[in-house]
Amino acid sequence: MEIYGYKCRKCGHINYPYRMRCGKCRKGEYEDFDPVALPKAGKLLTYTFVYNLPVDFSVPKLGLAIVELSNGVRMTGQLRAEEPKLGMKLRGEVEVVRQGEYEKSRGMVFYAA
Amino acid sequence: MREVYVVGIGITSFGRLEYPLSEIAAYPGMMALRDSGLSAVDHVYVSNMGGCRMNSQSGLASAVVDSLSLTPAGAETIENGPASGASAIKQGYMAVASGLHDVVMVTGAERMREANVFDAVEFVATLTHPLAEAIYGVTLPSLAGMFTRLIMKKHGVTERHLGMVAVKNHANAMFNPFAHLHEPITLEGILDSPEAMTNNPYVAEPLRFYDCCPVSDGGACLILASGDAAKKCGKPRVRLAGVGQATDTHAVHERKDPTELCAVRGAASQAMRMAEVKPSDVDVAELHDAFTILEIVESEEAGFFKKGEGHLALEKGETALKGKLPINPSGGLKGKGHPVGATGLGQAHEIVAQLRGDAGKRQVKGAKTGFTCNFGGFGNNVVCLTFVREK
Repeated sequence: MEIYGYKCRKCGHINYPYRMRCGKCRKGEYEDFDPVALPKAGKLLTYTFVYNLPVDFSVPKLGLAIVELSNGVRMTGQLRAEEPKLGMKLRGEVEVVRQGEYEKSRGMVFYAA
Repeated sequence: MREVYVVGIGITSFGRLEYPLSEIAAYPGMMALRDSGLSAVDHVYVSNMGGCRMNSQSGLASAVVDSLSLTPAGAETIENGPASGASAIKQGYMAVASGLHDVVMVTGAERMREANVFDAVEFVATLTHPLAEAIYGVTLPSLAGMFTRLIMKKHGVTERHLGMVAVKNHANAMFNPFAHLHEPITLEGILDSPEAMTNNPYVAEPLRFYDCCPVSDGGACLILASGDAAKKCGKPRVRLAGVGQATDTHAVHERKDPTELCAVRGAASQAMRMAEVKPSDVDVAELHDAFTILEIVESEEAGFFKKGEGHLALEKGETALKGKLPINPSGGLKGKGHPVGATGLGQAHEIVAQLRGDAGKRQVKGAKTGFTCNFGGFGNNVVCLTFVREK
């Protein structure tokens, strides 16, 4: 499975997450983006372990990170790495990140590369 | 545009309040009417963030205007996340400055403590990007934790500096009868003692319990008036001299430099430029310290200190009650509390009290120019205000 960024046909900027008009050239409309699968390799920009979690998360602590992917696009995701170091290399997998009563959500989970 | 003055202020205690949301909004309105000596207003703005979700109340403004018997004045509810309060003040400002109305009430309220802690966390997390952040379990403390780690690395801010903000704001709150927390704390108790990890556990590393503001109920109100209407009230002349607002990307990871709070910088410079004041003219400031790190970084982005030096000013005591630029004399969100939709009004209430010279034991001596920063989302929607005391 993939997570998609939205490449602007006018300036080439990859928007992630999706938006209606390009965040860089501020032009374009609904149809002016090509979905591109985002790379799964990246480096750790910053992270936290959270202990006070919303509903649906019955774990003692949850790792969250902002990751810079190999093409420069940044992404927020879950982090499963013991003793992370800023700048360390990570690889992502698309997995179930949240399991609600009626629905589940998939997203990127990052592991030490 | 016409000049706009604050002619009445009112506030509830912050903490846990066993009153309906509409009364938490109306009570400070009643106090502000009493303060101003007025019995009617032209329009009512009510700021609130979570009434629909947490208190099953929609159309809050209609309830408030009737409860205060201010009908048939127009009334509407303003929701702009945790910046709702200052946003509502800005709406009131525009109404009076434009000449549409002469006297407007701006009141705000939040009642969050009836929700259980999971619901409260989940509610505030609805501010984050639904697909790129919220699905992962991202909450506001998570974003603040990731931000803090970057600031620590870049500027050398330590857990000790964060603790100093908490100690200072808890100490200020001791002098504020309306504050949520009347609980003096020490660095020893929250960081150094063998019990520190029990007293002050991690919430979102590297942020600990005492780096996060409490969840509060509360309300606050300002009555704004044109110059002519203000003269009739005869209150000390506090002018709302500048309003500024700026936004930033919804998802925090998209910011070019995630250590910068561009929306704070934009909103603060607009609010000061409009009031024709420089950061060095400001005598007292209320900054949005939902997390201790935010007080430090906002103090830099607002221009009070150089980038990366806010924690050094804090260390020297410059932001203490008796320092060069007292920040959060009310106790801030950390000590006074954070009823989200009312917080911006609570900050403005404090600044007006300070500029009137009515702040009691927490009075900043001779304060003439005050500034507030109300921070919505994780810095994606920020409203700043500048107040000036005239003779």
